[in-house]
Amino acid sequence: MAMPIDAVPAEATLASGLAAIAERLIRSTVQIHAGKVGAGSGVIWQADGLIVTNAHVAREPARVALPDGRAMKGRVLAWDRASDLAAIAVDAHDLPAVVVGDSGALRVGELVVAVGHALGLPAAITAGVIHALPPRGRQTGLIRADLKLAPGNSGGPLADAEGRVIGINTMIADGLGCAVPSRMVRRFLASVPSEASSNR
Amino acid sequence: MNTLLSLSNGLAAAVEAVAPSVVAVNARPRLPSTGIHWRPGIVVTADHTVRADEDITITRSDGHTTPATLAGRDPGTDLAVLRVSDADFPTAPVGDPGTLHVGHLVLAVGYGPRVSWGVVSALSGRWRTGRGAEVDQLLRLDVTLYPGFSGGPLVDAEGRVVGVNSSGLSRQLELAIPATTVSRIADELLEKGRVARGFLGVGLHAVPLPEAWSRALPTPAEIGLMVVSLQPDGPAGSAGVMLGDVLVAIDGVAVPSSDDVQRAVGARPVGSPVTATILRGGSPKEIRITLGERPARRRH
Repeated sequence: MAMPIDAVPAEATLASGLAAIAERLIRSTVQIHAGKVGAGSGVIWQADGLIVTNAHVAREPARVALPDGRAMKGRVLAWDRASDLAAIAVDAHDLPAVVVGDSGALRVGELVVAVGHALGLPAAITAGVIHALPPRGRQTGLIRADLKLAPGNSGGPLADAEGRVIGINTMIADGLGCAVPSRMVRRFLASVPSEASSNR
Repeated sequence: MNTLLSLSNGLAAAVEAVAPSVVAVNARPRLPSTGIHWRPGIVVTADHTVRADEDITITRSDGHTTPATLAGRDPGTDLAVLRVSDADFPTAPVGDPGTLHVGHLVLAVGYGPRVSWGVVSALSGRWRTGRGAEVDQLLRLDVTLYPGFSGGPLVDAEGRVVGVNSSGLSRQLELAIPATTVSRIADELLEKGRVARGFLGVGLHAVPLPEAWSRALPTPAEIGLMVVSLQPDGPAGSAGVMLGDVLVAIDGVAVPSSDDVQRAVGARPVGSPVTATILRGGSPKEIRITLGERPARRRH
């Protein structure tokens, strides 16, 4: 059963609200070591062991370090180089999954928070605002955020002011953080063959 | 609603309040810059981004591109003013930069819209830019000005435009020209096409004066400004000022710093005469200088 995700309390101050979101995101962000590619991050998408990350992070054999200290072998279910997304399964059924938001409802200027195992630091937080959005109606294109990503953030979550994941951080361009919108993640997951996830 | 969420919504609303008045200015190769629809038909942008004098266009937030003509430019404040005939779009909600405090959240907005956020990192009173222009307030930002952001609005948390961002005013610092100065310069550019500032054509360095030199002056002074560089054909050079002369007063008013010199000549019209009191070899001397105009910055 999925662990309940606490909402940010209505009376939260700026600082406590941000801390609550950070804590929630850190619980759902894994570290991925894959072959010689080095470490990246991943997002616990479903409590039954489905992890979403970047295609450039996910390589077999993938070792997945959970925030609770457990380390597991990850099986790459599918990956798509064009969207730089990958789905990994780990053998667990009790994981704290993220709440997924709708990237189509984002507004330029709104607050965003990213978590990642940046530069080897476990679960580093960075906060900023949405810098620019892909043109309306376009099926592809990245969310750009004015915050400080670092190598190792790849595959980790970008969340809104309510802690809902609206993107997967994927690269840094001109100092901006770039994330694959959650709508693209949903489309990608819909294309993942069901037999690959039948044991979940 | 929790504070974090209302802040987030507030920031997004601030962007939406100004975005319709923010345009792309197409006046240089490759990368457009940003402009603000300041008053009906008047767009303000950063002078250093307007490389061309002609064939300028602006692109509105709805994607509509329309021609613009250069009404004037002021390299001193790095501002340029454009006229657009097709002005059927909102003007910016211009606010009062006097309400800003150090630590206030601010947004920088580029055409698109694209946004960066940060805080006001320092504020102080009137200052002079490296090119002699007086600015009402020093507005230093801890905000990233991304490529193409110059000429765009600095926006407060309530969605009001409090300044114009420019990376052309300082190599190191992120600065904005406060809205009050922008309006004043825009008025002058629309009226005269340029902002002329009196200019001497000298480089000065403050030096303590020996007591004997000081005593020789009609009004004793402790500090003088030694001429350490000189444009030979510049206003001071052609009036007979020499390297090594020590400037102590302009029109009888002591000038213990180069800021005082700027103040004494910057506001004077080009072509007006001033009397400089100098010390040459310890003896006071008065030289009449006809102020020239600060040369335009070379654009490339």
